[in-house]
Amino acid sequence: MLSFATRRFGLSLLILFVAVTVMFLMIRAVPGDPVQIMLGPRATPELQAQLTAALGLDQPIWKQLLIFYGNLLQGDLGTDVFSGRSVTDIVFQQLPFTLELIFASILWSASLGIALGAYAAAHPNTLIDRIAAAISVSFVAAPAFVVALLALLVFAVHLQWFPAIGAGEGFWDRLDHLVLPAFAIGLSWVGYIARLVRASMLEVMGESHVRTARAFGIAERRVVMVYALRIAILPVVTVIGVGMGFLLSSAVFAEIVFARPGLGKLVIDSITTRNYPIVMGSVLISTALFVISTALADLINALLDPRARTAH
Amino acid sequence: MEKSRSELGQIIIGVARDPLGLMGLIIVGVIVFCAIFAYWIVPYDPIAMDIKSRLQGPSTAHLLGTDQLGRDTFSRVIAGGQVALKVALPAVFGAMAIGLTLGMIAGYGPKWLDNLLMLFFDTIRSFPTVMFALAVVALIGPSLQTVVFVVMATSIPTYGRVARTQTLTLRNSEFILAERSMGASMARILGVHMLPNIIGVLAVLAAMDIPTVIALEAGLSFLGLGVKPPTPSWGALLKDGYSLIRQTPWLVVGGGLPIILATLGFTFLGESLRDVVDPKLRKQR
Amino acid sequence: MTDTLLEIDRLSVDYETGRGDLKALRDITFNVNKGEIVGIVGESGCGKSTLISSILRLTAPNTRFREGEVRFKGKDLLQASERQMRNLRGADISIVFQDPMQTHNPVLTIGQQMLDIQHRSKQSKADKLAHAAKMLGAVGIPDPEARLKQYPHEFSGGMRQRIAIAMALMSEPDLLIADEPTTALDATLEVQIIERLQELQREFHCAILFISHHLGVIAELCDRVVVMYAGAVVESGEVREIFHNPKHPYTRRLIECDPGHIKERARILPTIPGEVPDLANLPGGCIFRDRCDQAMARCASDVPPLDQLKEGHHAACWLNHEEATS
Repeated sequence: MLSFATRRFGLSLLILFVAVTVMFLMIRAVPGDPVQIMLGPRATPELQAQLTAALGLDQPIWKQLLIFYGNLLQGDLGTDVFSGRSVTDIVFQQLPFTLELIFASILWSASLGIALGAYAAAHPNTLIDRIAAAISVSFVAAPAFVVALLALLVFAVHLQWFPAIGAGEGFWDRLDHLVLPAFAIGLSWVGYIARLVRASMLEVMGESHVRTARAFGIAERRVVMVYALRIAILPVVTVIGVGMGFLLSSAVFAEIVFARPGLGKLVIDSITTRNYPIVMGSVLISTALFVISTALADLINALLDPRARTAH
Repeated sequence: MEKSRSELGQIIIGVARDPLGLMGLIIVGVIVFCAIFAYWIVPYDPIAMDIKSRLQGPSTAHLLGTDQLGRDTFSRVIAGGQVALKVALPAVFGAMAIGLTLGMIAGYGPKWLDNLLMLFFDTIRSFPTVMFALAVVALIGPSLQTVVFVVMATSIPTYGRVARTQTLTLRNSEFILAERSMGASMARILGVHMLPNIIGVLAVLAAMDIPTVIALEAGLSFLGLGVKPPTPSWGALLKDGYSLIRQTPWLVVGGGLPIILATLGFTFLGESLRDVVDPKLRKQR
Repeated sequence: MTDTLLEIDRLSVDYETGRGDLKALRDITFNVNKGEIVGIVGESGCGKSTLISSILRLTAPNTRFREGEVRFKGKDLLQASERQMRNLRGADISIVFQDPMQTHNPVLTIGQQMLDIQHRSKQSKADKLAHAAKMLGAVGIPDPEARLKQYPHEFSGGMRQRIAIAMALMSEPDLLIADEPTTALDATLEVQIIERLQELQREFHCAILFISHHLGVIAELCDRVVVMYAGAVVESGEVREIFHNPKHPYTRRLIECDPGHIKERARILPTIPGEVPDLANLPGGCIFRDRCDQAMARCASDVPPLDQLKEGHHAACWLNHEEATS
């Protein structure tokens, strides 16, 4: 298990390393002088020179790269040109809001999805199963931000059941503010996970070892929960891990729609003000988050399924 | 040619037989029709302003009301379909073409090239899509072309991986080995023998990908980072609708519904297509 | 009567399908006595699987019990409640399945699974584990305590099958059903498993219902044998008697075609020409008629009954009937 974990993290680091390099090169590849673009009409030659030196843009590329990595390893993502604060600080201040939203979305949608999927698998081809199947296809289809807008319209503006703006203060208030955005993000996942669990369960239930368990008189409940569900859930773990990227993207939209603080809002605001260091810092952090979550999913998978440990 | 025409016909019939597939076919048909003939069928010019009639609700004159500049929402919805497809189709086909080529090379060529390409794919895939899109837009600036480029770039790994897997599987199959033993060149093997087998799978993937791509374009436009106003895009409608959400709900509805319909339509179509083209995959439902 | 453990009495089972009813078992009758080893021989499609699932009542949803009874210790299992059946499974009646590679849960350790099987016992976990380790030792798994912590994929096929036997015998069942336990293993492993099974049977005195298409093993292991073909019993009796004096053409051909039986070198191995009939469209008369080289006119119109020819020897063939009546 340990060797598997080390190998998996090693792979993650490699990918992260390449991704970071790509990001770096992308910035440098942009036509035009970034300093001029950033400063816009305020660009005086002195300011330009100052900023260029500050960003290290007057150095040869390979040196810039090295400085960049050096800084990165120290946790320094650069400095915000306008406020002078460390990008790392700014990004990590907003990160918890985004994480809170993502976590809430996964929590409700995975729980409901697994429950529905397991139920559908236990009662296959009944009317409920077929209706659920049709509905879950439909929900998978609607993009999160459209659902978010419609939810905002109906539940916040029109019915006024939930707040429309912000993240709230205090536990219950924050929960109140989480409901609609988490609902919007999670909606397409419920259907997807339910279908996945259903298919997975049906496959596992048909397998020989389930038959063996029954042949030994083990209670049906235990057969379903321990012998079948535990294996059937594994794809869900992977799906969520890989879906983190998708979740992050949906979260960006949800944050804008519901005017919530978070990584998404940070990036959008920074783009409009051409605040590159923050944009890049945010993208880097979210990429790292994504890479970590896929690695984590693989690890959990290996933990739950001993066969996966030898796979890599 | 005869064979492929009747095969296509058979596929269409197969899809039409499935109730969901038929629905998908109809919805997509309507969308494509509206997209092509948009400027012929719109009741008003989508970008014509009429301040006197601003912010009206639905009426016989304006089926979905008007926006803050008096533009007819319904017309903008129809024209938006054209924009959506103008982005989605080139992006998807571009990504498919590039992904297919790279994937086949990865699957068929030497191992080091395979590893390199896979690393390239994995890296792109490790960026959360919207974040990546935002980063690119931040650097290049928003426009229709940027959106197409970004959307294409993020899709390439998907097609690439599938093409690669298919190529690897086919590489050792008997009929390929037979061709190689008869001296067929790599280009011929890739182009004539592998391609037809792989394209079917990729076509299904593309059909399922189009909704994602439409959503991405709409999303970027919604953020103000997509197509430039006054170009009518469903996302732009949503943007206006969002800022005016307390005054009128119709813009959000007008922008949101077509996206949902398009996504549903293409998804139904894609799933039905998959069932028809490869019944083996049915089990994974 | 007190010696009889399992009585299959004119059991007829159909599967309802879109094509019509598949008559998987027709009028199956035979007994298994306490401590006895009864073999069931037949090719694929003869109804062995249906028979086993009927005994355990773990049947597919489209199974229909048309007629007959399955009496275990005098009580008809087909009438028993699901709860009663569950109490029997893994306790009084155990089973070893055919494919050792798929029979265990891949994500639980062997120890965990052997604990689960003892779910009826009130013993402590430590005692249960000790019992499990003892059983593993009895089937010849070295270092059992350590191996209990391992996962199925860490064992070879032969070992997994032995573990399956250990699991089946843990509760000291009255009846052990062995569904082609050695078919998936190679010849040397087969010999080991069979020997082990014999030892264990002597020790635990359970009855065994041993399904196989390997005649040599049946001859070696079983006391009595039941020959099945396409859902019907065609012959049954003591092993010695059946092998030396087969009274049904199918049994005769099976013996002739068995590679172990062939004495002379031959370029072409003998086979039985023809195919197993379609169970949804049964021909009239004797089920074996189409492949039988001794078929008579009567065979096409009337189904031969399972006649008793000698004490304990039954066969369903008009040839014997002629002899018997003439």
